[in-house]
Amino acid sequence: MARLILEGVSRTFPGVRGGPPTRALEPTSLSVADNDFICLLGPSGCGKSTLLRIVAGLDAPTTGRVVLDGAAVGGPGADRGMVFQSYTLFPWLTVEQNIRFGLREKGVPAAAQARIAADYVARVGLEGFERHYPRMLSGGMQQRTALARALANDPKILLLDEPFGALDNQTRALMQELLLGIWETDRKTVLFVTHDIDEAIFMANRVAVMTARPGRIKRELTIDLPHPRHYTLKTSPAFSAYKAQLTEEIRVESIRALEMTRAL
Amino acid sequence: MRPLVPVTTAARILLGVAFFVLFLAAWALATLGGYVNRTFLADPLTMAVAGWRLLVVYGFARDIAVTIWRVVGGFVLAAVIGVPLGIAMGAWKPVEAFFEPFVSFARYLPASGFIPLLILWAGIGETQKLLVIFIGSFFQLVLMVAVTVGSTRRDLVEAAYTLGARSGGIVRRVLLPSSAPTIAESLRLVLGWAWTYVIVAELIGASSGIGHMITDSQALLDTGQIIFGIVVIGVIGLASDYLFKTLNQRLFPWSLATA
Repeated sequence: MARLILEGVSRTFPGVRGGPPTRALEPTSLSVADNDFICLLGPSGCGKSTLLRIVAGLDAPTTGRVVLDGAAVGGPGADRGMVFQSYTLFPWLTVEQNIRFGLREKGVPAAAQARIAADYVARVGLEGFERHYPRMLSGGMQQRTALARALANDPKILLLDEPFGALDNQTRALMQELLLGIWETDRKTVLFVTHDIDEAIFMANRVAVMTARPGRIKRELTIDLPHPRHYTLKTSPAFSAYKAQLTEEIRVESIRALEMTRAL
Repeated sequence: MRPLVPVTTAARILLGVAFFVLFLAAWALATLGGYVNRTFLADPLTMAVAGWRLLVVYGFARDIAVTIWRVVGGFVLAAVIGVPLGIAMGAWKPVEAFFEPFVSFARYLPASGFIPLLILWAGIGETQKLLVIFIGSFFQLVLMVAVTVGSTRRDLVEAAYTLGARSGGIVRRVLLPSSAPTIAESLRLVLGWAWTYVIVAELIGASSGIGHMITDSQALLDTGQIIFGIVVIGVIGLASDYLFKTLNQRLFPWSLATA
C-alpha cells in the first residue's frame, strides 16, 4: 500500500529583482510504499532537496500535492522526521535532550522520554556521550544524534537530505551501514536524497533518478539486492552492474546541467 | 608576535596590570614632577587622601549606594519592558513592523537632551534619574534583542518544526534559548551605558550621588575628589562587568561565544 504519494508536485521560485522566475522542479509524481527505502538520485541543483523539503512541509509546492496516509500535507509535522545535511542539533541541549526534543513537544511522560532516548542513544552507539553538548562532538556523532532525534519521534516516514554529505568517506560508509542496519530492523519508510551513486545503490530498494534543473524523475530503478546488506556488497558484480547503469544516467544529466550554466 | 596566537592566563594578567601601573606612573610623574599645574590635575596621593576623606568624613559611601541604586533601578526597568518587547519583535514580524520604525527613531533621541524636560515633568527626584537611564537604555536594548531573536538560525527552526514543534514551542524552545547568551551580552553592554547616563543625570539637578559630588568638587576646585569619583565609577563598572561575564559563562556553558 502506498504510504506517501506525490501528485504532480512542482516548484517555481519567484524571480530575483525582476528577473525571470526559476523553475526548480517540474511536475513530479512518486509513490512510496510502506517500508520502502527510496533514494532520490540527481546531480547537484536538480531540485531533489526542494522536493524533500516539500514533502517535509518546509516549502509549499507551486502545483500538485503531497498525500501521506490519505491526508494532504499542509505543513511540517512530527509524522515526517527529517535529518538535514547541515548540523542542526540544538547547541544548548545535550545529546540526550536533543533526542528528547520531539517527545517533550508531544507531551510524552518524562520517564518514557528517558527510556526511549536511552534506547536510541544505544542504537546509534553514543553511550557515554549523553551529556555532551553538540559542539563537543565530531560531525559523524552529530549526525548520529540527529538520526536518533528523528527516529525517537517514531515518524511515519523518515526524510534524509544528504545527511552524510559533509562527512569524510570512512565515516560516511559507517553511517550508511548504521542507517541500513536500523532500517533492516525497523523497516521504517525512508526517502533519502543523495548525489552519491554508490550510496543510493547500497541503501535503496528503489532509486529514482532525477534530471538536471528543472528536475523531474526520469527513471525509477528497483535495486534487487538481498538484505541484510554487507559492505562487501559494494564490490560485487551485481552492484557494479547497477552502478554502470546509473553512472550513465547521471552523467547525461550532469553534462546537461553544465551546458545550461554555460548557456547563461 | 604571530597574529591571533593566544597568550597564557598568567601573561594576560601581567600585561593587563602592567598598563595600569604604567598609567599610574605617567600620571604621578606629570603631577608630582611639577609638569602640570596642581590646580587642574591632582596627583595620585592627593586623590587617595581626598578619597579617604570623602569616605570617612563626608559619607561618600551613601552617594555611591544612591548612584548604584539609580543605575540598577533604571536598568532593570528598561530590561523588564525591553527584553520581552524585543523578543516579541524578533519573533513576530507584524509586531516588528509596528514598533521598529519608532524605536529606531527614538534611539537617536539623546537621553541627556531630555533632562530639562524630565525635570519639568518629574522634578529633580529619583523618578527623573530613573527616566533618564530608562530612555538612554530602553530603545537600544529593544533593537538589539529584536535583531538577536530575528537572526536565529533558520535550520534550527526548521528542524524543530519537523520534530513537531508549533509556534509556541518554536518561540519557547528554539528562539529563546538560542538568543539567551547574546541577549545577556546585550544587557551587559547596556548596563555599561546606564552608568554614563546616571552621571549625566546627577551632574544636573541632583542632591546626592557620585555625579553630584563631582559637580560640588568642581565648585571647590578639588580635582582630587573629582578624579576619585571617576575612578570609583570605573571600578564599579569593571566589577559589574566581571560579574555579568561570569554569570553568563555559568548560565550558557554550551555557547562558544562565552567559552
